[in-house]
Amino acid sequence: MAGTVSGAVQGGLRAPARQSVLRQSALHIALAALALMAFFPFFWMIFASFKPFKELVQSRALLPIDWTLDNYTEILTRVHFGTAVINSLYAAVTVTFFSLLTSSALGYIFAKYRFWGKEYLFLLLLATMMVPFAVVLVPLYITVGNLSLANKLWGFIITGLWSTFGVFLMRQFMEVIPYEYLDAARIDGASEWRIFFTIILPLSTSPLAALGIFVFLANWDSFLWPLVILNTPDKQTLPLLLAGLRSIYWSRYDMWSAGSVMTTVPIIVIYAFASKYFIRGMALTGIKG
Amino acid sequence: MNNVADARVLMRRGFPPDWSQIRRILRRSQVHFGLAVLIPTLAWYYLFLFRPIFQAFRIAMVDYRILDPANSPFVGLGNFDKLLLNPLFLTSILNTFTWTLYIFLFMLPLSLGIATALANIRRLRNFYQAVIFIPVVVSLVAVSLLFRMVMDPEVGQLNRLLDAVGLPPSSWLSSTSTALVTISGIAVWKSVGFYVVLFTAGMLNIPEEIIDAARVDGANEWQRFWRVTIPLLTHTIILVLVLLTVGSLQEFTLPYVLTTEGGPGTATYLYNLLIYQEAFTHIRFGTATVAALLQFAFILACSLVQIRILRPTWSY
Repeated sequence: MAGTVSGAVQGGLRAPARQSVLRQSALHIALAALALMAFFPFFWMIFASFKPFKELVQSRALLPIDWTLDNYTEILTRVHFGTAVINSLYAAVTVTFFSLLTSSALGYIFAKYRFWGKEYLFLLLLATMMVPFAVVLVPLYITVGNLSLANKLWGFIITGLWSTFGVFLMRQFMEVIPYEYLDAARIDGASEWRIFFTIILPLSTSPLAALGIFVFLANWDSFLWPLVILNTPDKQTLPLLLAGLRSIYWSRYDMWSAGSVMTTVPIIVIYAFASKYFIRGMALTGIKG
Repeated sequence: MNNVADARVLMRRGFPPDWSQIRRILRRSQVHFGLAVLIPTLAWYYLFLFRPIFQAFRIAMVDYRILDPANSPFVGLGNFDKLLLNPLFLTSILNTFTWTLYIFLFMLPLSLGIATALANIRRLRNFYQAVIFIPVVVSLVAVSLLFRMVMDPEVGQLNRLLDAVGLPPSSWLSSTSTALVTISGIAVWKSVGFYVVLFTAGMLNIPEEIIDAARVDGANEWQRFWRVTIPLLTHTIILVLVLLTVGSLQEFTLPYVLTTEGGPGTATYLYNLLIYQEAFTHIRFGTATVAALLQFAFILACSLVQIRILRPTWSY
């Protein structure tokens, strides 16, 4: 693989019209191989989840000989899989909704309002992004405990209601919205609430979609904080349940693959239809650079 | 309710009009909106960020008593001494540096190589990029389970594949000598698509005229890549270096789920696992927080150095 990569590196930048068919084919072969490596493990996992345990550990074939749904029925009935899906969805959707609202409202204020200390306040909020999560891990655990939210889904949700990165992003975007739009609405007597909901938000759908995907995935996959704050099976989120399968079903790869398939495949299917937005959302951190 | 109507009424009342009052009325709605947003914001930031950050410094200097926190005895640097006495402290630091080094060694050439290929290919660019990006969007815990299965030394598909092509089997995650390099490989597989997107975007942003100028001047492809593309990518490279450093130094999920709490032995015992176990396995809040503050200082220093040293002196 090292050979194909360095071969690709030599290719200068962008394809001039006269570039040889040979080189384009070489690039296609290299990239197709990489794409296969990125996707093949999921492929294997999907088929593995339909194999009985004995076949899974014995056979080399990719396709199951003996198709079975037992792995799925067992995991859906024996562990709290449905509860975990509902918990994860509830938490991730709530956090996404609130953080989009707070990020855009603050983005609007920081982009378009003038008040004493605005820049300092903005820098103060931004500075919190530099602090690693481990620093606030213990104090946050104590705070959430004091609020009687330990082992409650809201203990996980409440720490995500605001997103500093989201504020930063929405401010960047809203700075280019012309003041004329706002002034025209103000002259017509529109309140700021109305301006925010009927002018600012509709103009910001594209960064909001990207930010929404970013926030949703970050919370859907969040592991360390839920691990600390949610302890009982009825409260745990999907990543916690999956990690728990290691000890509940020790080396039962049939159960592991069924659980992993039900976690990853829905996301991959959604991704297949909206990959452009996913890539934009996840790569947001780079666009500002 | 309508500010403009109120202001009109005031304008008609008396001459000259009371401008400061009119201005106040016209700003009324902005003040309401601003306060309605800023007050809850400040309350949340105080409760969940500012206060916890200050508390961290206090917790780091006391012997925290969970049942009676107000009376936790002050120990100053005692927690730091305790941390140094933990033999896993040094192990985890060494492991974390080695792991970060592996990530850099695998990730940078691979993501730059794939990005260059994508920038050069004429068809299907978005398709390849989207497929290589798939691992980025799926759950890291599911990926960990997946690789535990595939890399099982006895029944895993990877060793069977090696066997099929006549190569000796590898112990992957189950031996102390290969576990760390294996999980860094998995981490690179999981997130290479993300860095590819950043680099490809950076490369496609470079104005074509600059590359053409180099071509006209007789630079070959190799020279164009190293002398033109790479220097013009400095902004992206700094960003990638900072993200990679900050991310790798804080990895927790992989050593916790994939190799089960830093195993085999302490081969994949990374720094954030130490912080987690100090806090929630041994219930030593003080030492855990000291460890976290040390990490904070180190990450801050690293990011500043990377940004300072690599800051480009040009623009286009």
